[in-house]
Parts: sequence; C-alpha cells; structure tokens
Amino acid sequence: MNNVVRELRSERGWSQADLAQKLDVSRQTINAIETGKYDPSLPLAFKIARLFGLPIEMIFVPEGE
Amino acid sequence: MTKLSQKQYEWRVLIAMGMYTAYMLLAWPLVRVASSVAAKGMLALVPVVPMIYVIAMLARRIRASDELERYTHLIGLGIATAVVGVLSLVGGFLSIAGVMKVDGSVLIWVFPVLMLSYGLGRWRVARSYGGSLSCESDSALPKYARFLLAGAVVLLLAWFSRSSLDDMRLGVLWGAGGSFLAFGAVLGVVHWRRGSRGGARDGD
Repeated sequence: MNNVVRELRSERGWSQADLAQKLDVSRQTINAIETGKYDPSLPLAFKIARLFGLPIEMIFVPEGE
Repeated sequence: MTKLSQKQYEWRVLIAMGMYTAYMLLAWPLVRVASSVAAKGMLALVPVVPMIYVIAMLARRIRASDELERYTHLIGLGIATAVVGVLSLVGGFLSIAGVMKVDGSVLIWVFPVLMLSYGLGRWRVARSYGGSLSCESDSALPKYARFLLAGAVVLLLAWFSRSSLDDMRLGVLWGAGGSFLAFGAVLGVVHWRRGSRGGARDGD
C-alpha cells in the first residue's frame, strides 16, 4: 500500500514522535508506515483516518493506483 | 496496569540482572558446602527469582506493545524456539548415540540461548521495518554506552574475583566483558558516524 501519512503529518507540523503519541504506537511504527515498510491493521488505519479527519481511502491507496 | 517507559523497563531489568550476577558470583559457591538437601535446594533456586522477574517484565512489555512491536516479538520468540529446539534435538540425539556426554548442567544454558536468539531474531526483523541498533527511543543511556558499561562492570567483577573463581568461570567473565566492550565500541562508532553525517533521528 502507498500512503500520504508523512505529507499529512508535515502539514500539521507534527514530528513522528508527536504522531506516535497521538495514535498510541511507537515512533518506529510510524516510520515503518510512512516508508511503506508496514501496512497498519484496519483499526489503526481507521484511527489514523479519524485523527486526520479524512476518509481512509484518501490516506491509504493500493499500490499501482 | 500502567505502561512502563523504555527507561523504567531497562532499569528494572538491569537491577534484576545485577542481583542475579552478584548472587551467582558471591553466594552460589555456598550451594556446594550446604549441609542439608533442603538448604542446597533453596540456595540453588534463589537465582530463579530475579530471572522470573525479568520474564514478567518482558511479558508486561510485550503486552503493552503496539501491533508492529508485537509482530517483531512473535517472530523473535519463534526464532528462539526453533534455535533452542534444534540445539536440544541435536544434543539429545548425540548424547543418546554416545557421541558426546551431556549432563544436566547443560540445562542452565537454555534460558541464555533462548534470550540471545530472541534478541537477535527480533533485532533482525525490526531492522527490516526500519528499526536499528543505534536508534534510541527514551532509553536511560545510549545503547553503545550500555554495552561499554556492562563490559566494564563484568571485567571489574572478573578482576576482583580472580582468586576465588575457577578458570572456566573466570574465562567466561573475561570473554563476556571483552565482547560487551567490543560490541559497545562498534555501536559507538556507528552512533558517532550517524551524528557526524547529521542523520535525522525522526525521519522528518
């Protein structure tokens, strides 16, 4: 999956540590999501979408689309 | 149950391991000279207490982990199980075949091999997700400093115990202390090179 988490985070001036704290995950998990090395679970993806106030499909896009 | 920070977790484990090490070096020899079987048994089982505490801390840490961390813990524990399983099978069959003699004291190495395999396996998996040995979160000390400190402590223990320990135990202490120092030095170089390259900690 591709995602725009890094872009959304930067727009709000948050560090990875800030975002990790808001989502109650580790900074390494945020880094892994942003670099595309890890696809979050559905509950975490929904949590991310709710935090950014966007539909989940605007944040996470299948590869190739 | 409140979540422990990395610093809190590490200090608790460090204290427990320190107590274990001190007991093994200073009080363990009393086991052999204890008069009754009950006293021998009790003295022999005292080191198990800090080890159980470390296992409980590890379980608490895994329980408080997020989804990716739990995945890396799972893979690490799976690798550790495989390594210990294979080694015990190999040792067991060789012993039954009479190729090598294995006595019960080899069981003391099961837990250290398990923990080492788990640590290495988890580190390798975490690396594939972008984690690194030199990446620090909220640790009490940088990783290289911890290994250097551990190496120095072990070598000091070896020095002060040199007249009371047998050659094998002394050799293990010198080897372990030297290894910790060497590994700490390698990590220190990696840490310094990352700092001098101006690598962003946060990936921002």
